[in-house]
Amino acid sequence: MGSAATRDPLLRLRGVCRVYEAGAGKVVGLSDVDLDIPAGDFVAVMGPSGSGKSTLMNILGCLDVPTSGTYEIKGTPVSRLSADELADLRNREIGFIFQVFHLLPRYTALRNVELPLLYAGMPREERSRRALEALRAVGLSDRKGHLSNELSGGQRQRVAIARALVNDPSLLLADEPTGNLDTKSGEELIGLLCGLNARGVTIVLVTHDPGIARRAKRTLYIVDGRLVSEDRYREIRG
Amino acid sequence: MTRIDFLGVAMDSLRTNRLRSALTMLGVVIGVAAVILLVSLGEGTKNYVEEQFAGLGSNILIVTPGKIETKGGPPLVGSTQHKLTLDDSRILEKKGYLFSGVAPVVFGTAEVRYRNRSRNVSVLGVNPAFSEVRNLHVEIGSFLSEADVDARRRVCVIGRTVKRELFGNANALGQTVKVAGTLFRVVGIMERKGISLGIDIDDIVFLPVRTAQEIFDLDSLFEILVSVRNKNDIESGKELAIALLRRAHNRHEDFTVTNQAAMLSSLYTILDTLTYVLAGIAAISLLVGGIGIMNIMLVTVKERTNEIGIRKAVGARERDILLQFLLESTTLSAAGGIGGVLFGLAGAAALRIVFPKVPVSVPTWAVLLAFTFSAFVGVFFGVYPARKAASLNPIEALRYE
Repeated sequence: MGSAATRDPLLRLRGVCRVYEAGAGKVVGLSDVDLDIPAGDFVAVMGPSGSGKSTLMNILGCLDVPTSGTYEIKGTPVSRLSADELADLRNREIGFIFQVFHLLPRYTALRNVELPLLYAGMPREERSRRALEALRAVGLSDRKGHLSNELSGGQRQRVAIARALVNDPSLLLADEPTGNLDTKSGEELIGLLCGLNARGVTIVLVTHDPGIARRAKRTLYIVDGRLVSEDRYREIRG
Repeated sequence: MTRIDFLGVAMDSLRTNRLRSALTMLGVVIGVAAVILLVSLGEGTKNYVEEQFAGLGSNILIVTPGKIETKGGPPLVGSTQHKLTLDDSRILEKKGYLFSGVAPVVFGTAEVRYRNRSRNVSVLGVNPAFSEVRNLHVEIGSFLSEADVDARRRVCVIGRTVKRELFGNANALGQTVKVAGTLFRVVGIMERKGISLGIDIDDIVFLPVRTAQEIFDLDSLFEILVSVRNKNDIESGKELAIALLRRAHNRHEDFTVTNQAAMLSSLYTILDTLTYVLAGIAAISLLVGGIGIMNIMLVTVKERTNEIGIRKAVGARERDILLQFLLESTTLSAAGGIGGVLFGLAGAAALRIVFPKVPVSVPTWAVLLAFTFSAFVGVFFGVYPARKAASLNPIEALRYE
């Protein structure tokens, strides 16, 4: 697949719809989304709450599959994969950063970072070595023995980034990563993400903050489950 | 993910809820300990009974007067009740080619006196064969002889307790004691036997059977003990005894021949059944312990929904989550099982101290069974909560707070 792989974007969505069954009726989460994200891209996603940002992120992150349409990662169609195959894909290709960090509270920073490697079946020593490396990359190697609930918000989010990157994923998904951080920590975090992108990590980031969106290479606007142009977005948002 | 990693994950979460884990385990501990204790008690009872009968000699047939049976209508008027006599005993002795010994027995109680000490004891009138048949032997002196019986000699053999109570440390052999007012010379002292079926075997005075009949003014026998030479011939020995005695009793079967081994084996069957019933009852508490595990595992899964979501987001497969929770419940029940085995063994040891007469014994099969069952309980009752955890939707699990 050598030449095909280089031509294909990292992520490709065609006519992706996600419809939820809600009681008697149906709720449209995403409708007819076409999107290509090449490797090395840094995409910000903006949109009002309930617009479908999270649905898009869940589908990009293989936590959910489209109701219709196709989604391919490196040319592999995702919608036909089983739950376990999706889990493997998340493990190998995707790193998540959440607004509320989602670290295991009773685990040390190091063990939190090790978690994806655990499920990748890596032996213990190599796990610790790689996790320590990842912590060092986010500047937290001196906090490796701290329980995650002993760390500050900024530190926690950096542990989360280390965890997201420890498996060398193709794609980093960040869902409002600065939402629970003070301005300074938020700024540091964005700096860290930019640095990672400069080293070739593909990033998709959901944010409400136009200032942060401006740091990305491009911005997608999403309203009522549809991608819209920037002008249209400003029109709707007034 | 290797097996050791799963174990580590399971141990971590058990450690974070120490009290809860301990209480859940307690349910299994009690169940396993109960199984072991009750089975041990049942086995102990069986051993006790076995021990009691072991001293009675093996391959024994017991002939008693009268027929135990159920018949329609009132007993026939004029039917004579034959007694067992020494003639019956002699016939069994002469024609019973399958028998190794025949012992006629007269039973009574009498006062035994030596100088100013007296004691009420059981008195058995027996012949020399009795010693072999009942497996009771003299330690000092000699047992009663054929000549003693035939000549109705006034000699006796006394048990250990009788000797101790009447003579203390003094020599009893050759001394004269009064049995029911008649003077007897002590020719032998029995070896110590202890208590069997509530009777102190050491608190008996043995007289020659004819002498005893004279003293108690009897012409009949209490019973005749017959030992069968070959274990396999017990049933045919019983047939033979019945045939011989029927002929002697004008074809009336007015006596009963009991096969002690058969009686015992049915008794053991009952005791075994009792043990199994006890084990079954105890197993119910083990089952309740299992339900406790299931309950706590359901709570745990609910509490850790977010954790499950995180694990799934970073690539845990359903099987990984399933194994993690299954291992937690199995660890709980297996640890409880080990605790239960320890408590059960300790309890059995305590019973041995409190009831020294009941030989409480812990059968290995009960320990293995209880432990295996407890581990199985953990798997069985852990599957449902673990499945629930494994099948959680990662998006909803992540959103759960």
